[in-house]
Amino acid sequence: MEHTTAKRLASAAGLVLAFSLATACGPPVTSTSESDSPTTSARTNPNRLQAPTDDSPSGEIIIWDRSGDLYEVFDAAIGKFNQKYPNITVRHEAVDIASKLRNTLITGTDVPDGVFLDDAYVAGYKDYLWDLSDVLGPYIDHIAPQKIGVNTIDGGIYGVPYDLDPGLLYYNEVALAEAGIDPNSIETYDDLLEAASRYKQYRPSAQPIHLEQGAWLGQLQLEMYANQLNTSMADADGNLRLDSAEYLRILTWLDGVSQQGLGTRAEYLSPSDIGYLESRDEVFYPWAIWFDYGPQAQLPETSGEWRAMELPAWQAGGARGGAMGGSSFILPKEGANSQLSWLFYEFLMFDEVGYTAVYGPNDVYPGGTNTSIPSYGPAADPAKPLFEPFAGLGYQDLWSVAVAAGQRIPGGNPTPTWWDGAVEYLGNNVQRMLDGDMTPQEVIDQSTADIQSNLIDRQ
Amino acid sequence: MTAMTAVQGEASGTGPFWRRPWRRPISQLTPVGQDERRPAGPRRSLRPWQRFRRAGWPYLFIAPFLVVFVAFSVYPMLFTLRLSFTRWHGTGLAQWVGLNNYAYLLTNPAFWASLKNSAALWLLVLPAQIVLALAIAVLLNNTALKLRGFYRVAAIVPFVTPLVAVAQIWVVLFDRDYGVINHILNLFGLPDVGWLVTSTWSKPTLALLFIWKTTGFIMIILLSGLQAIEPAFYEAATIDGAGRARQISAITLPLLRRTLMFAVVMQTLAVFQMFTEPYVVTEGGPYSSTTTAGLYLYNHINRADLGTGSANSFLLVIIMVGLSLVFVRLLRPKD
Repeated sequence: MEHTTAKRLASAAGLVLAFSLATACGPPVTSTSESDSPTTSARTNPNRLQAPTDDSPSGEIIIWDRSGDLYEVFDAAIGKFNQKYPNITVRHEAVDIASKLRNTLITGTDVPDGVFLDDAYVAGYKDYLWDLSDVLGPYIDHIAPQKIGVNTIDGGIYGVPYDLDPGLLYYNEVALAEAGIDPNSIETYDDLLEAASRYKQYRPSAQPIHLEQGAWLGQLQLEMYANQLNTSMADADGNLRLDSAEYLRILTWLDGVSQQGLGTRAEYLSPSDIGYLESRDEVFYPWAIWFDYGPQAQLPETSGEWRAMELPAWQAGGARGGAMGGSSFILPKEGANSQLSWLFYEFLMFDEVGYTAVYGPNDVYPGGTNTSIPSYGPAADPAKPLFEPFAGLGYQDLWSVAVAAGQRIPGGNPTPTWWDGAVEYLGNNVQRMLDGDMTPQEVIDQSTADIQSNLIDRQ
Repeated sequence: MTAMTAVQGEASGTGPFWRRPWRRPISQLTPVGQDERRPAGPRRSLRPWQRFRRAGWPYLFIAPFLVVFVAFSVYPMLFTLRLSFTRWHGTGLAQWVGLNNYAYLLTNPAFWASLKNSAALWLLVLPAQIVLALAIAVLLNNTALKLRGFYRVAAIVPFVTPLVAVAQIWVVLFDRDYGVINHILNLFGLPDVGWLVTSTWSKPTLALLFIWKTTGFIMIILLSGLQAIEPAFYEAATIDGAGRARQISAITLPLLRRTLMFAVVMQTLAVFQMFTEPYVVTEGGPYSSTTTAGLYLYNHINRADLGTGSANSFLLVIIMVGLSLVFVRLLRPKD
């Protein structure tokens, strides 16, 4: 009896202990949706980073980049940075940013001072980042408006804009010439459809236009088309605007390409995609500038046959510029030396020596980094190309084409914090439409409802 | 046994504990079988400190494990449990939302779809894998087989091969237009199959990858179970005229139930937590047809919806515990 009572008491004590532990674990909780950051005036906002005032700044900064070509490019530029700032040591780390950044920021352990990040993700990390409005102040007027737009959330700017990724229409010039098609005749998307139709008549096995089969990249491409029409999924207040004439028009065109058998359904540069490109069945690729990596490295058969032009317009005389993707540098508030990392990025992006080191000839890209163009106006000077023509595009002057396209990209279209999560809905629904399972209007209606209830309402 | 008996038997002794038990003559230790806690003589109540000296030291010895267990298992679980009742995006104040996250998930078709995807994968993986692993284990348990060691190592190689590298090979092998598998099908006049790009075939393709990757591990577990069966049973059965099939059904399988139960529970957990395979090979597509329960949970975390992710974790824990109990019940040895 005594033993049973003791066990009961022990059990009760265990429950109390567990409950106590549970209530002690985790972040502070509020019963309301109150904000933890009181409104402050812009100049006194502690979330705004200020530039350092030391004459000879010193210290160590931890910089994260994703592994690959750009890591090598930035790594090679550190020497130039140290010539200007000899007392700042750069610890440059190649990191799987997608899998590590979120946990690092939540735990606040070993937080880097600067991180390379896709523009599409910047908004999702806003609460951890410095508002860079003040330090970017002297440069804002010279930065591509589209880049300011995607980095602006609730009035603050949360990323140092890196590259501008204008959408271009890549085409196989040799294949089109054999079919008697003049690419200069393609000025609108209807013209593109017509040219694709003619190419298919010439080559019946062809599926001339790339239709992206990956949900994430498909959504990114959709936003490029939307950017041309000066819209995006959400407005500056975060309200959905998918249900619009612009999106209906884009989706209807994509659906038409699919229905008429004029599209290659493949993931970007997957084995299938490469096969169709190399066999010249796929000859039109409306994509970001970085598709040029394909002709340079992954399309040996057709390398040299590819050329780039501005995107077609949605109507005669309409806008031919639209951005697809791009990256920026974010500076976490928990970083130990955020001010010094700002100096690093300021040097790389806005100092002529810095941006020349990034975009000019380097070990990875001997003719210069040609997979994007600078978003900083003075660096993207049409008369002073930072990268050279290359064999993959038949030594075409890509710099001039891309800079001209970049200057026509509309600005002011923010990226919502839930952009990535929308892929599960909009990205997938676009794929369903391209497979003939949904209509354009159904894509809009279903995606709008799902994004609203699953993402926006749960912010 | 000796040391433990000594610790329990010296409650009323003197001097520091670490000096006494191992230095006491064996003749003074309580004999095995005698009630060590109730020595003869009048019973007297002990003070708390004395009680601790009498029974507390073993707990001190397991304290290192307990500290690690509490720090890395109990605390995270309680953290997650509390988080599951909040809306929190990783920074600032969490907002208490009660059961809202659970209600959201339980009424969300995507949550149930992720469970269905995992259940379908379980059906595709488990029966085939257990049969395959058992067949290989029986084969490799045959002492007449030459190069057994080599085959055993070969069978476990896929399990220790980095999954990301294997997944990339899978993508190339099963490409719709230029993959080797479709090329072979074409040789027999069969049409191309969209292995990774159609919702019909994506799950079987993923299941095949999982089977190839983990069957070696299950085979090793079953092999250890087979080796624990006394050869005398088989000898007796042979003498009685039982054939190989009869021996497997009457001896091997009944005596392997406990090992089989372990393998089934392990793989059930693995399939429902499957993450890397769909993440690398299909990214959960097409149309979320390979978004497993594990990947769906990750998606919440990845978009910083930590409250919903935590609720999802606990729902999965409940489901996993339930399934495990069912299998333990069904497969427990009849003895």
